[in-house]
Amino acid sequence: MASRLLCRAGELAAQALRASGPRGAAAVRSMASGGGVPTDEEQATGLEREVLMAARKGLDPYNILPPKGASGTREDPNLVPSITNKRIVGCICEEDNSTVIWFWLHKGDIQRCPNCGAHYKLVPHQLAH
Amino acid sequence: MTHQTHAYHMVNPSPWPLTGALSALLMTSGLTMWFHFNSGTLLTLGLLTNSLTMYQWWRDVVRESTFQGHHTAVVQTGLRYGMILFIMSEVFFFAGFFWAFYHSSLAPTPNLGGYWPPAGINPLNPMEVPLLNTLVLLASGVSITWAHHSLMEGNRKHSLQALLITISLGIYFTLLQTSEYFEASFTISDGIYGSTFFVATGFHGLHVMIGSTFLTICFLRQLKFHFTSKHHFGFEAAAWYWHFVDVVWLFLYISIYWWGS
Repeated sequence: MASRLLCRAGELAAQALRASGPRGAAAVRSMASGGGVPTDEEQATGLEREVLMAARKGLDPYNILPPKGASGTREDPNLVPSITNKRIVGCICEEDNSTVIWFWLHKGDIQRCPNCGAHYKLVPHQLAH
Repeated sequence: MTHQTHAYHMVNPSPWPLTGALSALLMTSGLTMWFHFNSGTLLTLGLLTNSLTMYQWWRDVVRESTFQGHHTAVVQTGLRYGMILFIMSEVFFFAGFFWAFYHSSLAPTPNLGGYWPPAGINPLNPMEVPLLNTLVLLASGVSITWAHHSLMEGNRKHSLQALLITISLGIYFTLLQTSEYFEASFTISDGIYGSTFFVATGFHGLHVMIGSTFLTICFLRQLKFHFTSKHHFGFEAAAWYWHFVDVVWLFLYISIYWWGS
């Protein structure tokens, strides 16, 4: 039984290897670079592809990276986008602080972090897409 | 229609967690019926529904990732954490059996003769088939590393070859170990030696079969071009699991087969 299983696996493998052999080579190689394994560029799809393509252009449409902090003064507050009228903000007051200061940021007046006083302003968005 | 602004995967409702839980109930109660009332029906039903759940659940994961592209980098990170935590839980599972072995073997009781291996036990020679098994698994660790590098370098032929070698070595181990089980002069009911030996090596053998199955799925997926040179977490998870199985064997070999003889 074991040898039959091994033979079957061997047939599968032989079929696969034949697919990357002379006749199948064109098909395999035309769809993937070099040795027959597709790349993300060729095969990624859906959200994964969107994120990949955007990252190439230096964009981050799905907010994977933490937001860049503004100076946080009254004239240059951190602008916080939101699809509703309030959003939770987590302020890391000084770099490498492990205590994150969490608070609700409401639409309207500029609010300040209760710990370090940095300014934040909610910017309501309609979801474009 | 609103779209998400985050890169995570909000999974669609699925029946498989429920069928999985039900199959667990059927398997456990089925074991009871089998042990105590000599009836295998419930257990068979449980194993069947369990297999169906696993097949369909993981088929859906492949659909969501490879075919629909939901597995962004952050999703993959979560899966990595998940697999690592799962393997760690398995480490603790085996730790229990090693604890049991050392508890009994470090201080052998008078009824065993006060020594280990106990009176009347003829242990297997660690330099014979068990040593071969060790080499087989170590070699499979090398071949799976070759498979991984071939995959990353874009070499389809080599990745398939190396994966096939790994799977073959895994099957070879299982066959060798099965024959050892029949050849052994002792059984599971031969006192604490038999219990610790067969429960520890038995669960290990089960994990070898699970690992071999996982690798076979990877082989089939690679045949169908699912993996890319940069994104192939299913393969990595299988490789991690396989290395874990290898490490458990090394501990088994050193502790039970070698020191324990």
